[in-house]
Amino acid sequence: MLRAIRIIVTGIVQGVGFRPSIYRIAVKSGVRGYVRNLGGSEVEIYIEGEKSAIDKFMSFLKTDLPPVALIHNIDISDAEPLGYDDFEILPSMRKSVKRSIVPPDFSVCDDCMKEVYDPRSRWYRYPFNSCAYCGPRYSIMQDIPYDRDKTSMVDFPLCRECSEDYGDPDNIRRFHAQGISCPVCGPRVWLVDNAGKIIDCEDPIREASKLIDEGYILSVKGIGGFHIAALASSDEVVLKLRKRKDRPEKPFAIMAKDLQTLKKLVYLNEEAERILRSPQHPILLLNKREDCPASKYIAPGLAHLGVFLPYTPLHHLLLDGVKDKYAIMTSGNPRGEPMCIKNTEALKKLGNIVDYHLLHNRRIVNRVDDSVLRFTYDSITMLRRGRGYAPYWILLRKELVREVISFGAMLQNAGGVGFENKAVLTQYIGDCDDFRTLLDLKIYMRRIVKLYRVDETRALVAVDMHPGYPTKRLAREWCEKNGVPLVEIQHHWAHVASVMAEHGIHDEIVGIAIDGAGYGIDGNIWGGEILRASPYQFKRVGHIENIPMPGGDLATTYPVRILIGILSKFMREDEVVALIDKYKLMERAGRSSGELPIIMRQLRSSPPLTSSLGRVLDAASCLLGCAYVRTYEGEPAMKLEAAARPGRQYLHAKIVERDGRSVIRISNMFEDMLELLKDGVDRSVLAYNVQWALGNALAEVALKHADGVVAVSGGAAVNTIIVKAIKLRCRKEGVEVICNRSVPPGDGGVALGQIYIAGLKEDLWR
Amino acid sequence: MGKISLSHGSGGIETSKLLERFIFSRVPDRLKKVEGGLGIDYPDDAAAIPTLDGYIVVTTDSYTVNPPFFPETNIGGLAASGTINDVLMLGGKPLAVLDSIVVEEGFPEEDLRRIIDTMLSILGSHGIAVIGGDFKVMPRNTLDNVIINMVGIGYAKKLIIDKNLEPGDKVIITGPVGEHGAVILALQQGFKVEGGELRSDARPLIGIMDKLLEEYIGDIHAARDPTRGGVAMALNDWASTTNTVIVVDEAKIPIKDVVRSYAEMLGIDPLSLACEGVALLGVRREAAEDILELIRSLGHEEAEIIGEVRQSPEYGGTVLLKSVVGGFRILEPPRGELVPRIC
Repeated sequence: MLRAIRIIVTGIVQGVGFRPSIYRIAVKSGVRGYVRNLGGSEVEIYIEGEKSAIDKFMSFLKTDLPPVALIHNIDISDAEPLGYDDFEILPSMRKSVKRSIVPPDFSVCDDCMKEVYDPRSRWYRYPFNSCAYCGPRYSIMQDIPYDRDKTSMVDFPLCRECSEDYGDPDNIRRFHAQGISCPVCGPRVWLVDNAGKIIDCEDPIREASKLIDEGYILSVKGIGGFHIAALASSDEVVLKLRKRKDRPEKPFAIMAKDLQTLKKLVYLNEEAERILRSPQHPILLLNKREDCPASKYIAPGLAHLGVFLPYTPLHHLLLDGVKDKYAIMTSGNPRGEPMCIKNTEALKKLGNIVDYHLLHNRRIVNRVDDSVLRFTYDSITMLRRGRGYAPYWILLRKELVREVISFGAMLQNAGGVGFENKAVLTQYIGDCDDFRTLLDLKIYMRRIVKLYRVDETRALVAVDMHPGYPTKRLAREWCEKNGVPLVEIQHHWAHVASVMAEHGIHDEIVGIAIDGAGYGIDGNIWGGEILRASPYQFKRVGHIENIPMPGGDLATTYPVRILIGILSKFMREDEVVALIDKYKLMERAGRSSGELPIIMRQLRSSPPLTSSLGRVLDAASCLLGCAYVRTYEGEPAMKLEAAARPGRQYLHAKIVERDGRSVIRISNMFEDMLELLKDGVDRSVLAYNVQWALGNALAEVALKHADGVVAVSGGAAVNTIIVKAIKLRCRKEGVEVICNRSVPPGDGGVALGQIYIAGLKEDLWR
Repeated sequence: MGKISLSHGSGGIETSKLLERFIFSRVPDRLKKVEGGLGIDYPDDAAAIPTLDGYIVVTTDSYTVNPPFFPETNIGGLAASGTINDVLMLGGKPLAVLDSIVVEEGFPEEDLRRIIDTMLSILGSHGIAVIGGDFKVMPRNTLDNVIINMVGIGYAKKLIIDKNLEPGDKVIITGPVGEHGAVILALQQGFKVEGGELRSDARPLIGIMDKLLEEYIGDIHAARDPTRGGVAMALNDWASTTNTVIVVDEAKIPIKDVVRSYAEMLGIDPLSLACEGVALLGVRREAAEDILELIRSLGHEEAEIIGEVRQSPEYGGTVLLKSVVGGFRILEPPRGELVPRIC
């Protein structure tokens, strides 16, 4: 008997070779009907045939799907047989039935690289080779569904041969693959000098490699933006790049040809190799080898090196030609601004930094920065969520009561949208104190609102409650335009809620939120918080002792100021001055000791107060000689972590009860630290001690209020020593510790927490 | 309702919010000015009343400064200069003032004499009449030294109305910024500034404005002495009243090294420090170079074109600073309190 069924599949099913696979298994199982993309980017399959054929189809559906497809849901319903003669791929529908994931960019697959290295292949040395299973997606998409005419590949009509491949069902990797091309019809690369003059050469990529070997600095257009490439093994080149980029200390990432090459630079393990080789090909921070041949100026003062593997044929070919087989590949942006994505932009803005530009003519529609991951104690954490991960959605276990548009915090920011039981964050946008970056946030917020069909006239808008964040301007403007209310959400509550969202928790739990700075409801700057929180409310049950910040943000730039703030809690002014002078801490920060009286005066005239863990780490980093000026976010704390060596644990942070809250005393710990320094205790041991003591104290306060589970989040929740101390202390009491998995624990994940809180809020508040 | 805090008087957002709540929203529109003139519906330091062939310009300001004496001048000089400048910025020629002085019991007579001397000598040297005033003493500890309130009266044939600022206009600053604010802050922080490089710039701008009004009145679309809240506040006022974007090049803004280093040590943006002897002018693009040259020829060599006004339906009301370290940032109107935000 003839039967018919209709199947709606949602998940990563567009742009991954899904429809061609369905076609093949339909033909294989002898069913008739059609498959098509629905406008919202889910796939509809209609099949009819004998029961046995349909059963066969259904079992193939489980086993024969493309490697990068990810299915979240399959809806099956019975239908009336319509008498189809064969199976076909129908054109995409415009109407959205349900929403589906917009595919992220995938690294080039092994099959495509085989062709690139095969002299007999049409794709020999072709830098843009891609197939149904790999290549750029989100970065070239203008709209959904993922069809060639909605991507920047629309500029490259298929040649005869590519057309044939596209229409040939037996060509598994190219049949109906939207992004394919070849040297005849596809994009091309060329090399120019920094005046824009074309360098006449046979093979621009080979020439570019040669220039890198010679010590020149190049911009290289990639998938989601420009890189700056340079020889990583030469101190002279690295210092030249640092000077030109006005980037004194911030580490550069290294791209290496293969794992063999990487093994010479960093310590690899199985998990690391798996991550580096995943379709996302992120940058991963790994421990530098002592005999690492890369310049010591790549990541000064840090134990880690950020490394990744080539993720396009262009990168492979480029590194093949470099003698070292590895090179610096850092973001191609002028200081403080977003990474360039246009050729003209790169020529204009990177002209003072690079000597040559390796350009191509495939337009980048969406800027997508490289993702960055690291190991934090026993798990992997995301530091920057960009290429390969965004704009995947995050499934929430609870249906939101309304749609939400969220603008996040300020630095390292990402925004997001929430709908149904899902949250989607934008790719990493960057530091929104820069106006162009702020405009980018607006552009990409509009884009995900459109891609995911969020109703902007009804969706609630959420933003951080800090009065000075420029993202708040954007959020207000959005609200005024659409006549929707704005909710302001406390920073650390959002951090804790982001973990709850990822783990599907909506009952009250205890959360530890540790970071550099977030505006507290008492008007002080928070950052070492223990909260009892649900998505509906929170209570601050404990925090790090308030420390004065003489000069406000200056105390973040110059950690000696925060150290003075701490010391002044238990020392007389003249003692503080003598100590700072003794260690020459003002001079080491490039300041004069003539500034000390001003700092002392600022301390007396009600300076801002902070309970930030990040600031305590900064102060310790300064006292222990790890860092004196913050030239990039987290620098002093990262250098403190890098300098730390485990040893005898001398330090403990006292916990005192005040106004019904547990306060972690910092001053006593620093008092002890001064004594230990005097006794000649090794500084690196003290560096470990202070981080361990803080983690331990945070856990102890959390345990007072916890029942069964503690969430840990915030920018400092990537610190291995602190997180280890928290986890071990909690596990000893049988309490589970949960952390962020698919979003950064730092401010790049705040939007997720905001979505969870605002989306579940039953009554609107203003 | 809360209590009045010092930040309510800082001239920043907190001040505007308070005034909006307590005054502006409660005065009926028709009573916000004399018909045909300028009043509190118009955010500026001065008001205008129309006459047959021009305008009477009236300004008022209460001068409170701690300490009352500072390098170069004192509260008396500040009051005289500030009042004169307020009249000038509206395009008026200052004619007369009325002064009200309130002194704390026990204040040294000699100090009061010096203050009044400075005030009178500035007014006198510019031929401005003192046509009235008031004098009161408050019991010890109910007042911090001395307050001077001054009303300035002038006459303008044509008003300079800041809302006439338009896209394309260039922004000129007539001298280095933040000097007055920096010296007062330094004194308040307990620094010895006598004999140092740091001094108040308080002085009347009659020299510049007389010439400019004479030769370029039609080309000057906006004029402001960026006192409280500094250049940041003045530019933000302009951007929001005209719904334009004002783009300023940080590298072009003249700032004395000594001011810069104080501001850096204090964690304060020099653009939010008060200037008392500098004018910010919005001028027609084509005349900008000539005007700059004229200003420089009058002895203000550090004058600069620091930015321009742009049209932007989307970002109207914003001041953008092209930063020295790279990128653009939004120059926010200064807030009274420092709220750290970097993490």
